[in-house]
Amino acid sequence: MSNNTLVDVKNLSVHFPVHGGVFSKRVATVKAVDGISFSIDRKQIVGMVGESGCGKTTVGRAMINILRHVSPDVEIGGNIEYHFDNSIVDFAQLSAGEMRKYRSRVQMIFQDPYASLNPRMTVAQIISEPLQLHTKMNNSEQSDRVAWLLDKVGLQPEQARRFPHEFSGGQRQRIGIARALATNPDLIICDEPVSALDVSIQAQVINLMMDLQDEFNVSYLFIAHDLSVVEHISDKIAVMYLGDMAEYGNAQDVYHHPRHPYSKALLSAVPLPDPSRKNRERIVLRGDVPTPLNKPSGCAFRTRCPIAEASCSKSKPIFEEHAPGHLVACPIVK
Amino acid sequence: MAEQQQISLSILKKRWLKFKTLKRGYYSFILLVILYGLSWFLPLLINNRALVVSYEGELSFPIVSGYHAGTEFGQDVPGEAIYRELKQSWKQGGSDNWLIMPLYPYSPYEDITVQGNKMYDPPSRTHWLGTDNTGRDVFSRLCYAFNISISFALVLTTLNYILGVLIGGSMGYLGGKFDLFFQRIIEIWSSLPMLFVIIIISSIIRPSFFLLIFIYTIVNWIGMTYLMRAEFYREKSKDYVAAALSMGQTNFKVMFKHILPNALVPIITYFPFSIIGGISALVGLDYLGFGMPPPTPSWGQLLEVGLQNISKAWMVFAPVGALFVTLLMVMFIAEAVREAFDPKVYSRLR
Repeated sequence: MSNNTLVDVKNLSVHFPVHGGVFSKRVATVKAVDGISFSIDRKQIVGMVGESGCGKTTVGRAMINILRHVSPDVEIGGNIEYHFDNSIVDFAQLSAGEMRKYRSRVQMIFQDPYASLNPRMTVAQIISEPLQLHTKMNNSEQSDRVAWLLDKVGLQPEQARRFPHEFSGGQRQRIGIARALATNPDLIICDEPVSALDVSIQAQVINLMMDLQDEFNVSYLFIAHDLSVVEHISDKIAVMYLGDMAEYGNAQDVYHHPRHPYSKALLSAVPLPDPSRKNRERIVLRGDVPTPLNKPSGCAFRTRCPIAEASCSKSKPIFEEHAPGHLVACPIVK
Repeated sequence: MAEQQQISLSILKKRWLKFKTLKRGYYSFILLVILYGLSWFLPLLINNRALVVSYEGELSFPIVSGYHAGTEFGQDVPGEAIYRELKQSWKQGGSDNWLIMPLYPYSPYEDITVQGNKMYDPPSRTHWLGTDNTGRDVFSRLCYAFNISISFALVLTTLNYILGVLIGGSMGYLGGKFDLFFQRIIEIWSSLPMLFVIIIISSIIRPSFFLLIFIYTIVNWIGMTYLMRAEFYREKSKDYVAAALSMGQTNFKVMFKHILPNALVPIITYFPFSIIGGISALVGLDYLGFGMPPPTPSWGQLLEVGLQNISKAWMVFAPVGALFVTLLMVMFIAEAVREAFDPKVYSRLR
């Protein structure tokens, strides 16, 4: 662990109890995230990929501690240690009140730009809200800052008086980015920020995000399911499968030399705009993702794994270093 | 660039502009607002006390100062001066004294004890809608009752909304045990036969305006909670709420600054219906005799007297007509509000 670490996620687990029956007894547990560890350095972009329902978004929401709001009985285990100004703050242990003063340090960009902006507020109101909460700026300073931020994200400052419904999807996502940057956060959690956009707009928004990352010295946790996007933007890539971390390492290593059989299958499915490589080998996984209500014993991936052995059902694979800085949860490929 | 400078309209503003184009509802709204505004000045418009009296060079203002004995103005009557007769006699006698009466010089409370008033006087130029069984002027009572009815409905609706939004909104937003607890309370509460409860309460305590409001509020807040609970429950899972929370907004602010403006549609579209409900409720209680205490002018009481004297048509038609026209206007407003909030332009119910 270097001095440069911004956040250290240790053995994070997020379990949602399922209640049923006459007395609302606990009948099952959805293990959305089941003990994952990774860290994000300052000014680093970590890409997180995986299929739908594998727990990517839950990890992101756990890292800004807003899970309890929608599901008050969620069980969060492990530690989410942020290194702010020489002190370590564990978001997993903080109450809602204690959280409030750290809210400005970690922000989020949401997947759906149509739902993440309050339709009743003007752009200026939306972007200045974090400023009102976390700074002592007066109104004119706030509107200057809003204009400056709008300019930074490629919108016109005059548009500040408009309402979200007057913008296109890409423009709205820019507003969301401006809002996230308003308080100069250390980390921005980008929850599939480009999935809802057209491909041509995706490139613009991603390039904008990379430019802003340089300028604002911010780290990103970039959640996506498009591997080529993640490879383009990330320094490190984390691959998740059914609430577990399958592989974690430098972007180039993971993308070009995946070790975990799931990563290999995922990468073989990335469409390549190169006709000469059209006959490359594709690993097609059979079956569906098992439900997180009832995960397979041992390695969660073994039911669909092309190289699974009998021993895979015995115990959960250890997430260990197979090469320097390259962690894989599969004892078979070692 | 000209388009760039155009001021953006909030959704609510757009709906207001749409509402203004719906003439029937808009003019009903304007008319009702003007009438209700005027009804606060009824004592100046419809009253049996003079506005200004000039008697032997001295000015007095009975409308403000209240009781003046007839002898003060040289009138030979027991008790209070009868300004209408005073005016007539001064005019005929060509005296220097003068007085200004309100536009319609009959109070809703003066009955046959005042000289010159008759029971069951049919509509005439002096009594536009005749008089009732105690000689009180029906038109005057009708107008005063309008103010009381609308005020009652407005205050009742506002209180119901405040309670309904607070409780229903918290149920939807907080969820969990709070939601469960209040759901059970509402189930029990709403299964009480409320009309009987009100009748029992008002037969024990003499009801007044605010007591009736209070009784109706503790009964009627439930209707709004259903709507608000659903709205808040739906809105709280949207990302803009997560965004507000992730920037450290308090729950209270999230509920009332972020979610409430997005949950306004049922509040506003339900409003005219709630007013109708409030007016009808008061009329119903007054009709049954459990409403406002007797001398208070009220449509329900007029209706009751009218039905007891069904052959005197003016006493039936007056309150029924007033009630009908008022409710119709509120209904026109409701219809226009519904259409203004409808995203589909063509879906007007014909």
